[in-house]
Amino acid sequence: MTDEQLIAQLKQRDRNALKTVYLDYKTEFFKFMSRYNADTDVLEDIFQDALIVLYENAQAGKLDALKSTVKTYLFGTGKFMLFKHFRDAKKEVPTEETYIFDRYDQAVIEDVYEDEGMNDYQAKLVANFKKLGDKCREILELFYLQGMKLDEITLTQGYENKDVAKSQKSRCLKSLRQLIGTNDG
Amino acid sequence: MDKEGLINGYFEGSLSQDQLEEVNLLLKTDAAFASEFEFQKELQVSLKKEERQNIKTMFTDLVENKVKPETKVIQLRPWLAAASIALLVGLAAWFVFLNAPSLNTDQLYAANFKPYDNVIHPIERGNQLEDLKTRAFTAYENEEYPKALDLFKELHIKQNDAYIDFYSAMVLMQLNKHEEAIPLLEGYIEKEGELTDRASWYLALAYLKLDNIEASKAQLNKLIASGTFKIETAKKLLSQLD
Repeated sequence: MTDEQLIAQLKQRDRNALKTVYLDYKTEFFKFMSRYNADTDVLEDIFQDALIVLYENAQAGKLDALKSTVKTYLFGTGKFMLFKHFRDAKKEVPTEETYIFDRYDQAVIEDVYEDEGMNDYQAKLVANFKKLGDKCREILELFYLQGMKLDEITLTQGYENKDVAKSQKSRCLKSLRQLIGTNDG
Repeated sequence: MDKEGLINGYFEGSLSQDQLEEVNLLLKTDAAFASEFEFQKELQVSLKKEERQNIKTMFTDLVENKVKPETKVIQLRPWLAAASIALLVGLAAWFVFLNAPSLNTDQLYAANFKPYDNVIHPIERGNQLEDLKTRAFTAYENEEYPKALDLFKELHIKQNDAYIDFYSAMVLMQLNKHEEAIPLLEGYIEKEGELTDRASWYLALAYLKLDNIEASKAQLNKLIASGTFKIETAKKLLSQLD
């Protein structure tokens, strides 16, 4: 699989493609990171987080014009996270060149790295989201998760026009609000 | 652009600078707008977190279900097997005649025994939580073996992880209590803990220390057959025992 194919698959939220990346690069990633003497558990966490960054940024279209290979990007992300981990733990951070990420990349990396899971309200939102019908879940996921614009959704999902897609999305949000509301009492 | 359009545009990343400022203003002045905006933002964050969680679960399943790489068993052709046995016997004889006028198990033991590193619970000096596991492994790393033994015993009562037996055996061997170490190592090997091959090696050494040469050789042969740890050293020791 070429990098372009891989990125295209990640954009489609293809989890199997992500699994392949995990299996293909894990050994090499740990070998690459071994010089920094980090705990295996920390490295496993970081490797998984770096893959999530890859996955999310591919979907956001950030990797369309990637100048390096996917591997370099992935390992660079891991190194960025590990150095952040060292700084947080007040450990010495190796002085060496790192991959240059733009502000958007850095924000995503930090967001994934610092993600501590859902709070109660977010868990409730997701639980109720799952109760919505297929059509609703689809359009909300495409828009909020996969970052597709309403124009694109109209085209790919066969809505008559943008306004129809827009009001469909609006109705789905309203249903979700209602579901959450009924759980409040 | 209407308010709904502004919110959609925000999530699409398609707003102009002016429109972004309008959004910021509305967030401060229009409670209904702010509430709708926050709701959608929260939904986006929640869906993302859910997805991340699912992916991590997928990775973890991948690690746990991954079949351990099979140990390659090299099937020797009969004549090759015979030849290697002949070679081993020859080497053994060579070792015996040249190096060891009489077999000194204590010396061999001392030359080979080194307590296994703490690979279970890495200790970060300075700011660690002083929990039981940390105290036990700190004592172990500091070679305070009687203290480590007590702490491992205490740990064993609280949790039943197999590695505790392995490290208790290391401590017992350091304290010259090889008879007590042997059943722990045997039990650990039976449970097929992660360090099984390591345990085989130490079991061989414990038998050696107790002058039980045959049992020691049997363990070394198992270790060599498993082909994962100290193969060369085990072969050398085996030849010295023959």
